[in-house]
Amino acid sequence: MARTINFLQALNEAMAEEMRRDPKVFVLGEDVRLGAFGQTAGLVKEFGEERVWNTPIAENAITGVAMGAAMNGLRPVLELMFVDFAMLAMDQICNHLGQWRYITGNQYSIPVTIRTAVGAGFRMGYGHSQCLESQFLQAPGLTLVAPSNPYDAKGLLKSAIRSDDPVIFFEHKKLILGGVQGEVPEEEYTIPFGKAVIRKKGKDATVVATMFMVYEALAAAEELVQEGIDIEIIDPRTIVPLDKDTIFESVEKTGRLITVEEGRIRGGLGAEIAALACGDYFTLLKAPVQRVAAPMIPISGSPFLEDLYLPNKNSIIRAVKRTL
Amino acid sequence: MTLTNEKLVELYRKMLLVRTMEEKHGKLLAEGKIQLMGHFGTGQEAVSIGITGPLLEKDILFGTHRGVGEYIGKGMSPRDIWMEYLGKKTGLCKGKGTMHLADRKLNIPGVPSSLGADFSMAVGTALASKMQKIDQVTLYFVGEGTCNQGDAGPSMCMAALWKLPIVFAVCTNQLCEMSYMCEHYPTDDVAPRAAGYGIPYEIVDGQEIEITYSATERAIEHVRSGKGPYLIEYKTFRMALHFTGDPGGYVKSEDLEKWKKRDPIDLCQKKILDQKILKPQEDEKLRKEVQAEVDEAVAHAFSCPDPTMDDLFEGVYAQKGVI
Repeated sequence: MARTINFLQALNEAMAEEMRRDPKVFVLGEDVRLGAFGQTAGLVKEFGEERVWNTPIAENAITGVAMGAAMNGLRPVLELMFVDFAMLAMDQICNHLGQWRYITGNQYSIPVTIRTAVGAGFRMGYGHSQCLESQFLQAPGLTLVAPSNPYDAKGLLKSAIRSDDPVIFFEHKKLILGGVQGEVPEEEYTIPFGKAVIRKKGKDATVVATMFMVYEALAAAEELVQEGIDIEIIDPRTIVPLDKDTIFESVEKTGRLITVEEGRIRGGLGAEIAALACGDYFTLLKAPVQRVAAPMIPISGSPFLEDLYLPNKNSIIRAVKRTL
Repeated sequence: MTLTNEKLVELYRKMLLVRTMEEKHGKLLAEGKIQLMGHFGTGQEAVSIGITGPLLEKDILFGTHRGVGEYIGKGMSPRDIWMEYLGKKTGLCKGKGTMHLADRKLNIPGVPSSLGADFSMAVGTALASKMQKIDQVTLYFVGEGTCNQGDAGPSMCMAALWKLPIVFAVCTNQLCEMSYMCEHYPTDDVAPRAAGYGIPYEIVDGQEIEITYSATERAIEHVRSGKGPYLIEYKTFRMALHFTGDPGGYVKSEDLEKWKKRDPIDLCQKKILDQKILKPQEDEKLRKEVQAEVDEAVAHAFSCPDPTMDDLFEGVYAQKGVI
């Protein structure tokens, strides 16, 4: 039986169910007993302080603690409150976390899940608003998850916790705090990594959008259809691994590709997908690839400047039209 | 606790093995036969062997990049080290770790490239021991230079806050990479920092194996009994350069002369001979055996198969074939 729950509840349920299922799963992070945005709220009541650890404010060190606990048999779920703060833990994440299995010749699995909030729109200023998921693209051994709705969030977080490799799980603040709702089954389910979903079928152009940008793309589609333009919207759900098959099967049909992300444009996910398109899939393209992303400038806390900075429905509409 | 004669000879042999391994490494490099740079711990053998001596196999060791001392101490064999050092398929880490030695069956999870990244990993393994109620101590071995990393503070903080079974073993060899410690520290000692976190500490001589061994044994007992972390600082001197390619010239010759007189292997040998624990000819025989063991390990490693293109792409993720 499906019921309607919000994104926050989906995350909370995923953690609680996995903690019930597997005594090796535990949660740690700054203020997780309370739950800064509410993702971990209530877990301490059910599972006790010995499985929900409030840590000092020391992102790199607590990431190392999670990694050490994973080396010694546990499955930590670490919260780094904002992805902006995950930059403090880049040594652990990019130098060690994803590489330990390989450099120890497969002797050590590092089943760490790092959950971290991304995204702007809350007037939080330059250091609490960024979408930095592309920063992790260069590090080998990581899985990068970027869900857009409660169903995916729950199923993918459960898969992340069960994964024998480290996963960075991005939670967009507009999805967490915006109360985005969706149908989620009461029964057990997980979602495999690397499987994109077609959010809307269409024939004229392929739009690949992640997290909150899926909703901007859907809004763009509604307007475009009135002009007779029918776009297909693909939500990759995981950035690494990336479901190239679904994306380029769509491009094969439409001949046009638009990437949409809230992160900045230079070296972003769009750049990676565009590079793929220009390589193995070049002959499918009928028009140059368009990238919709944020500009290479800091995010102001000013409501006016922040709104001007963010990619949105209108920038997607303009980009789609440039391909036609 | 006084060491038995048998134990003392075992530790002496291990110190010799460490020195011989590193001398061999330097020689092979000088001859152009290998490419792996060396960071040697010459003169620090009483620390690396003394701290690992009292550890049990189930205990976890995070060692340093400086030579092979603590790895030999925890039970790694010269053969295993050399196969990995040469980057061979048969190495402990299939040649993928080389100087980053790891051995799961000995509970050695590996050594990271950025100094001190494992400060917090060691806190994590100790946390997991406590959470899973495993009677297991983590020993975190670190140089004084690395103790200036930012993670040192929060790692000691969490270890104390959560009363974790971890020993912090600080090897103060007076040199931080290519500088004297006094250029990195306003104080002579690192250990008193532990007091800021409520962690008991002591400072001991690092040249005499009986001192390093027994001090570590006491610290491990304290930690194993559930009293929380303990820190020991061992005072020694690094008689080698930071690494085999460094320009050198930064160590005062009077320091080298002064510390040479307190070479840990010479001190131990003198005791063993003076107390007639070994006869001179037995000592000579032991040294030859150690040399032969190292030579054989190197020769064996050279004869092992090289990794292939398939190996290059294997083992990034748990699932086979995924990169």
